[in-house]
Amino acid sequence: MYIIVAGGGKVGYYLAKELLSEGHEVLVIEQSAKKCEQISEELGSIALRGDACETTTLADAGMARADMVVAVTGDDEDNLVICQVAKKKFNAPRTIARINNPKNEPIFRKLGIDVTVSSTNIILEHLEAELPTHSVVHLLELRAQGLEILDIKVPPNSPAVGKLLKDLPIPANSVVSLHLSLKHGPSIPKGDSVIEAGDAMVVVTTPENEARLKEVLTGR
Amino acid sequence: MEKIANIMVPVSGHKIDEEAIGLACRVARAGKGRVYVVYVIEVTRTLPLNAELETEVKKGEVILDKAERVAEEVDYEVESELLQAREVGPALVDEAIERGVDLIIIGVPYKKRFGEFNLGKVAPYMLKNAPCRVWLVRQAISD
Repeated sequence: MYIIVAGGGKVGYYLAKELLSEGHEVLVIEQSAKKCEQISEELGSIALRGDACETTTLADAGMARADMVVAVTGDDEDNLVICQVAKKKFNAPRTIARINNPKNEPIFRKLGIDVTVSSTNIILEHLEAELPTHSVVHLLELRAQGLEILDIKVPPNSPAVGKLLKDLPIPANSVVSLHLSLKHGPSIPKGDSVIEAGDAMVVVTTPENEARLKEVLTGR
Repeated sequence: MEKIANIMVPVSGHKIDEEAIGLACRVARAGKGRVYVVYVIEVTRTLPLNAELETEVKKGEVILDKAERVAEEVDYEVESELLQAREVGPALVDEAIERGVDLIIIGVPYKKRFGEFNLGKVAPYMLKNAPCRVWLVRQAISD
């Protein structure tokens, strides 16, 4: 595969290094002459000095034959422009953008960027799993369907404790798909499943319904 | 000075290449060494590295044929090689390492850029990165 990496910072450098070791053809576009020189010295002739936001630079980089473009500069705006130009002007089959501000993620998706990676969100997800104060853990995002899978722990003070699942006001477009009971182990939840403190529920829902679902199952 | 067994002469088709080849042959003869003449086709990123570049290959072959004739004139046999690479400098350094070259002799045309003498891109790269000795043969200003 021919992969163009826009941005020769630490992320771009190590990404290029890994991709090269996997046998891919890689080109790193970087504005800084110093970084370009460093990349060339350490990884070979794989650096092109220029502004990846410019069509001419992308054309020189051979974007027309690229299988994938990965925009990993430190600026969300630049990453968006790079992916959009690659997509619209050069019909790049796959665009991946790094997002620094998680709030920009929906914009990137709306504008047709295939994959977005937010390091802030990734760290947050790990924090959620590690910190006992976080009752909701994001397990998986099903972007194409606009859904997500959550692991919600039921705290002792939750209004759901002692109630039947069918009696809980579970929001629309949400499915409780797994009941992880402390007493009885995992089971496919039914309407008469009793929710107890310390149980965990694996739920498929929409991002819009996440807050309501959390309120129903945790009371927070 | 250590014995020089392998000499590489990068060529670009400029007249000064002939002087570099002649010098390489004389030095190699003294040490009964080999002379490699190398021409590198720079492949743009718009094309894959192994793209078939007929025109460039023909041009390279003409330049290498000329180099061989120059060597014949001084009664020495040279090996010639045509390479395709993204950048000339790194390709030449890699080739020098691979062949265990002891000396690189580069012909440098006398060029001016913005009114100032300019060595170009390849010679400074070789001077900085080649693991072996590098000799520059600069074209006379009057030429």
